[in-house]
Amino acid sequence: MSDAVVHVAELRKTFDVPEREAGLRAATKSLVRRTTKEVRAVDGITFDIAPGEIVGFLGPNGAGKTTTLKMLSGLLYVTSGEARVLGHVPSKREREFLRRIALVMGNRNQLQWDLPALDSFELNRSIYQIPRADFFEMRDELIELLEIGDLVRKPVRQLSLGERMKVEIVGSLLHRPQVLFLDEPTIGLDVTMQKRIREFIAVYRERHGATVMLTSHYMADVEALCERVIVIHHGRILFDGDLSALAGTVAAWKTIAVALEDGAGDLSAYGEVVHRDGDLVTLRVPKADTARVTARLLAEQEVLDLNVEDPPIEDVIELVFARELDE
Amino acid sequence: MRTTFGTMRAELVGAGGVVERNAYLTKRYIWWDLAWFAWTVANTLTIVFIAKGIEASGGQLDVNATMTTLLIGAVVWAYLGILFMFLMETVAWERWEGTIEYTFMAPLSRAMHLAGQGAFAIIYGLVRAAFLFVVCAFVFFDLSMPNADFFAAFVVLVVSSISFIGIGMMMSVLPLISPEKGTQLGFVAQGTLLVVSGVYYPVEVLPQWMQWIATVSPATYALDGIREAIIEGQGLTAMWDELWPLMIIGVVSIPLGLWIFSRGEQYAKKHGKLKRSG
Repeated sequence: MSDAVVHVAELRKTFDVPEREAGLRAATKSLVRRTTKEVRAVDGITFDIAPGEIVGFLGPNGAGKTTTLKMLSGLLYVTSGEARVLGHVPSKREREFLRRIALVMGNRNQLQWDLPALDSFELNRSIYQIPRADFFEMRDELIELLEIGDLVRKPVRQLSLGERMKVEIVGSLLHRPQVLFLDEPTIGLDVTMQKRIREFIAVYRERHGATVMLTSHYMADVEALCERVIVIHHGRILFDGDLSALAGTVAAWKTIAVALEDGAGDLSAYGEVVHRDGDLVTLRVPKADTARVTARLLAEQEVLDLNVEDPPIEDVIELVFARELDE
Repeated sequence: MRTTFGTMRAELVGAGGVVERNAYLTKRYIWWDLAWFAWTVANTLTIVFIAKGIEASGGQLDVNATMTTLLIGAVVWAYLGILFMFLMETVAWERWEGTIEYTFMAPLSRAMHLAGQGAFAIIYGLVRAAFLFVVCAFVFFDLSMPNADFFAAFVVLVVSSISFIGIGMMMSVLPLISPEKGTQLGFVAQGTLLVVSGVYYPVEVLPQWMQWIATVSPATYALDGIREAIIEGQGLTAMWDELWPLMIIGVVSIPLGLWIFSRGEQYAKKHGKLKRSG
């Protein structure tokens, strides 16, 4: 893909991690003879992201997500392979590159703990060389969008986690980055705040045509924002494609949620009963049998309501990892 | 030409932003700074009282001149401590605050980033050193300095600051490559620099090998120049012997400091050490 905003080819990152046995003897021995183990954090991944695309980058802890984002932001050098963002090699730290990207990490902060966010925004204005008029326009737009007008004058240390995340996001976007690397931006937030951040990301992307790469453990984030997902595990890509296709590719079943007029009878003849909540029964049926089972249910039972759905994305992702283990 | 000017301007504005941020942070903790200043005064007094103690125990010495000599040593020690602290904090503090990744991702050259940090350290350090000197010399001891050329002493301190900043840049790489123990090594460097430079005694009393090291230490020339200006009343024109070595050491140490820092940054980015503590 020649016009890709993010281009990654056979990207690898390895670390030499010291290791030793437990105990004083091993500790003393390691003083003179240190042994290390090579850990492949990212192991030959390849993908492209087109302008304006929003991609979910999914994987369990230690899968290589943050390492990849750090390499794409120039904070880590690659061991081998190629990484380009907006045509730049991130590790070169070219000013034009740095002024057009932003990395937001949910468990890090760029705003000074002791200062009101407004002071840190001023520092960003200086460093990112944002013209004064543009700075005020963007700052006020973001403050309004996230409704944080009364928070930006307080020292950051006095804000709650959710409030802090909102002001952090404003700080990261003041220079109108074209590429956003969002690493767990909703981590630790309550569901209302998660929803607000998600909506904000969608609005920012729409208004400014930004390309977004998002990691999150909350599948609600991914489902709400991403059409495409890349699933990574042990540093390798297990799936890259449409979110809707992920379920179709990996899960060989669908779920049928059915509510019956005469209460919850025995529906095990139609498929595997995976959940029962009062009159509502959830069945798991082979994908190929979905139409036939649905028709049977409608014909043979007094159905009040019926829904056919792909399996929950959490289950699908789990399946991807399980399949990798089997292989 | 216009592009070069624009880039230079952008860099200077960015460095100004770093100075501004440090000013905000200093203002935020101004009362704690005053408490710390009281500690520095107490520490300085313990050193200056040594001259009185020697006199009281029957030693023959010019008490006023010895106290002034010791005071200048203590003030330069405190000043150097401030410069090194700010430069070491370029990494250490940001690592603790968790802002280090963002700072190193900002579109500001490392030279201007460190220059902004160094410029604030010099301004803050000079103000603090001046207060320390005035409080100890005139409030506690009423020292007599009839011939003192304070302007010449100020110029020597400012010129020596360039070399100190260069050395500080070299030291500030330590917390970058060793997040756990790097900061403490900065204090070792500060102590080593001053012990060979005649901080409370003439360099001539040191072993020969230490005297050789003293010839490349900017603190040697800073202490000599300031003492000559304040105690002997020598003006700037008589300071050339101190100023030219300071300029040469400054011209060498700044690029060397930047080079060493950039090597440290590359190491940190290669080994994944550019991250917050804890």
